[in-house]
Amino acid sequence: MEKVLLRNIDVPDLSTLTTYRSRGGYASWRKVVETLKPEQLIDEVKASGLRGRGGAGFPTGMKWSFVPKDSPKPKYLVCNADESEPGTFKDRLLIEQDPHAIVEGTLIAAFAIQSHTAFIYIRGEMAFGATRLEQAVADCYQAGLIGKNLFGTGYDLDVIVHRGAGAYICGEETALLSSLEGGRGWPKVKPPFPATHGLFGCPTVVNNVETLAVLPWILERGAAAYSAMGTEKSKGTKLFSVSGHITRPGVYELEMGYPFKKFLEEDCGGVPDGRKLKGVIPGGGSMPVLKPDELEKVNLDYESVAAAGSLLGSGGVIVMDERVCMVRAAWNIARFYAHESCGQCSPCREGCHWMEKIFHKLEHGQGQASDLELILNISGNIMGNTICPFGDAAAMPAAAFIRKYRDEFEAHISAGHCTVRAE
Amino acid sequence: MATTDPVKIIVDGREVITTKGTTVIKAAADAGVAIPHYCYHEKLSIAGNCRMCLIEIEKMPKLQIACNTQVAEGMSVLTQSPKVLAVRKAVLEFLLINHPVDCPICDQAGECMLQDYYMEHDRQESRLEVGKIHDRKRTIFGPHVVFDGERCIKCTRCVRFCQEITKTNELAVVNRSDHSTIALFDDAVLDNPLSANVVDICPVGALTDRDFRFKVRVWYLEKTPSICPGCSTGCNIKVETYQNKIARFKPRQNEAVNSHWLCDEGRYCFHELAGGERLTTPMIRQEGGLVPTTWETALQAVVNGLRGGQALAGILSGRNTNEEAYLFAKLLRRLASYCSMEVFYQERPLTEVQKILMSPDRSPNFRGARDMGVSSSGGFAGLMQELTANNFSSAYIVGEDLLGANGDNEKIRSALERLSFLVVQDTKLTETVKLAHVVLPAVHFGEKEGTYTNRQGRVQKLNAALVAPEGTRQDSEIFLRLLEGAGENLDYSTPAEIFAALAKDVIAYNGLNYDSIGDLGRELGSGGSAGS
Repeated sequence: MEKVLLRNIDVPDLSTLTTYRSRGGYASWRKVVETLKPEQLIDEVKASGLRGRGGAGFPTGMKWSFVPKDSPKPKYLVCNADESEPGTFKDRLLIEQDPHAIVEGTLIAAFAIQSHTAFIYIRGEMAFGATRLEQAVADCYQAGLIGKNLFGTGYDLDVIVHRGAGAYICGEETALLSSLEGGRGWPKVKPPFPATHGLFGCPTVVNNVETLAVLPWILERGAAAYSAMGTEKSKGTKLFSVSGHITRPGVYELEMGYPFKKFLEEDCGGVPDGRKLKGVIPGGGSMPVLKPDELEKVNLDYESVAAAGSLLGSGGVIVMDERVCMVRAAWNIARFYAHESCGQCSPCREGCHWMEKIFHKLEHGQGQASDLELILNISGNIMGNTICPFGDAAAMPAAAFIRKYRDEFEAHISAGHCTVRAE
Repeated sequence: MATTDPVKIIVDGREVITTKGTTVIKAAADAGVAIPHYCYHEKLSIAGNCRMCLIEIEKMPKLQIACNTQVAEGMSVLTQSPKVLAVRKAVLEFLLINHPVDCPICDQAGECMLQDYYMEHDRQESRLEVGKIHDRKRTIFGPHVVFDGERCIKCTRCVRFCQEITKTNELAVVNRSDHSTIALFDDAVLDNPLSANVVDICPVGALTDRDFRFKVRVWYLEKTPSICPGCSTGCNIKVETYQNKIARFKPRQNEAVNSHWLCDEGRYCFHELAGGERLTTPMIRQEGGLVPTTWETALQAVVNGLRGGQALAGILSGRNTNEEAYLFAKLLRRLASYCSMEVFYQERPLTEVQKILMSPDRSPNFRGARDMGVSSSGGFAGLMQELTANNFSSAYIVGEDLLGANGDNEKIRSALERLSFLVVQDTKLTETVKLAHVVLPAVHFGEKEGTYTNRQGRVQKLNAALVAPEGTRQDSEIFLRLLEGAGENLDYSTPAEIFAALAKDVIAYNGLNYDSIGDLGRELGSGGSAGS
């Protein structure tokens, strides 16, 4: 398969403007500004079949087209570089190694919605990545790729790199916007949606790093070249960050629809030291875990993973071998969500911590049989009833761990201690 | 934005006609269907955080919050479906797991939406077997408000009130997840002029009123709709009493006047106006000072002392009703050939936040009493100038302590001392009372019935919330007896009858009917027929 996002990743000094341009960088940007109308650009991206890589998989071109063209308000494009999903580190690779691809993608998307101010909101902890992006933006200003009257066309565009303050929830697009506005990182109630009432109440599009970084390639090679890859509904390629008990962890670029099992066993070298696989989380910590037997027919595209009862999400693949205590793993994930809940709406604020405490009890051998039903019930009461998808993200893995590894939970309860790690 | 375009929706199978742009929670409420909620308040922005108002909308896969869902033609809303009832129970459970359930010592008990909705929608034993989260207790937010973090459900009504209504921004949510709590900004104090409204809008016992705290269980309170006596805005209130004492004022919603709010000054003014030792016996000056006497003797002394007077000054409190003012004006004109009368009036500057509700005066019926003829060309200031210039030989002062309320004390004191006859009618032994020749013990705003006309010209009804102490008399009754003594026999005596008389007499009040004033009042000029 031809690499798209990672095509230049091994080029030395890729992060510099000179090197990036020597590989054809910013040619797409120039082409867009000089030759395309915003509608043509949107149509091109629609035709490519590109879907948002932040986790939800919403068609990118369609998202852009929701921005009202006749609004008297300024429009904003925001690059979501707040990558914080547990087990996900694909955006970080691009941010640190190929920042210009992100900047160029941001420029192209901003042009599509005729925004004159774009923001790159980067996770606070990624200090190095932030300096890379800041340098990239500064160099682009210097080179006349960002700023006033670009390429003599009269089009103005500013780009501002903004560092977050370390809350997971700020990766949720409306919480990100609240944070960017200077407020508490709280998701906003929807409707209205960001396309009409986003940043400072103005029409706004928030796109993920990976979504934006692929735009230069699509503009260079054409929508057809992109949509020629992948499956019927999941086009192109996608990055996967693989971690855990796997021989070759790292970031991989795969064509959508690549067989999951083959990927783990062949590309990633399988579970090391001949140990057995116990479970895989396919799309970051928020997604339901899959058991080895569920992997058999799963392909890595939105539809196939969903059919298996999980979600492709961020492509953060977490591999767990037979030594992992699934009760402890569930508790670990629950603890993350209990800590990161923004606290705004009742089910998530109260429910996440409640589940965490019960998982803690179970892992420490103090659980009782009714606790399992209780967690399932709590997660069911959170699911779908919260302001933002965080509630679902906390509820789904909790329920999946119990449903799929119930015997292990029951063993903890009857033994009064962990039955996996003790051996 | 709500428009007037009609939209038809179905609420639990029943057709409801509402207008475009209305939210489901509002449309349902207007149709008599109460959708349970905590964070929603019709005067605050939509927060959507409590999730209590989740309802089912046909053809929508997920439940929706009624507070943030706009109606659409033909939309079918289910507020009692099994899914909705289940989610209400679930949300209540979430809200209650960390709640201390300290109802026996909580002031909110009896008017707490956690209690009410629990009984209505939850009614299950707690399933929490792990420890509760603890938070700050008894945290002083300001002079009137105390916070209990463990009872708080983080609905943010208080935060939004300070952001959106007073725009003073003292409060914020701090910390994250289950440690989220409400806090003051650094160096901030919740002391804005409307601060205690956060207690009213707090749906639970998290914010309580320091003044009312631990005084009385709310179910013992008797509630009387009335008008705040604090200033001429005329905020609608409930006077809540226990054992014939005022326990608190609560605002009563009236969109033409005060919406849902009441200022702190008005809220607590009953301490000054209704508290303290009462005068319960008429007194008359004899050598050596004031001595108790009978009402008969006192009233006769007033008639004798004022009748035929050369120059009589009359000062009526702005807390006297229209009915009392009407009689007072009649009485003074009857008694003296030359008389000058005014309503007590003093202004103070107001800040922008105070101006949201407060008027510069502290005379709730200033406008009404002047409408009744208690007025002179020079206004109150002119009358006081004449008084201190010793242009009067006698005076009749009702319900105001001229010595306590004015910086010009010595001048006024010497003017009052030089009067040949001074009648003071009041509730307490004030400095002015001490100078009187005859003292008539009367009643305060909480013990009388009648009408006030606020500064916008809205006639509103005051109701007696308390029984007046023995020995006192209603101001109107005092005026009527004096009128009788002066030879004027009137065929009316109750506030309703007096109002009927004044409505005939005073042009601006023509056509107004006492009974039709109702709980929300009537705009002057609206007559007896059309609404306000």
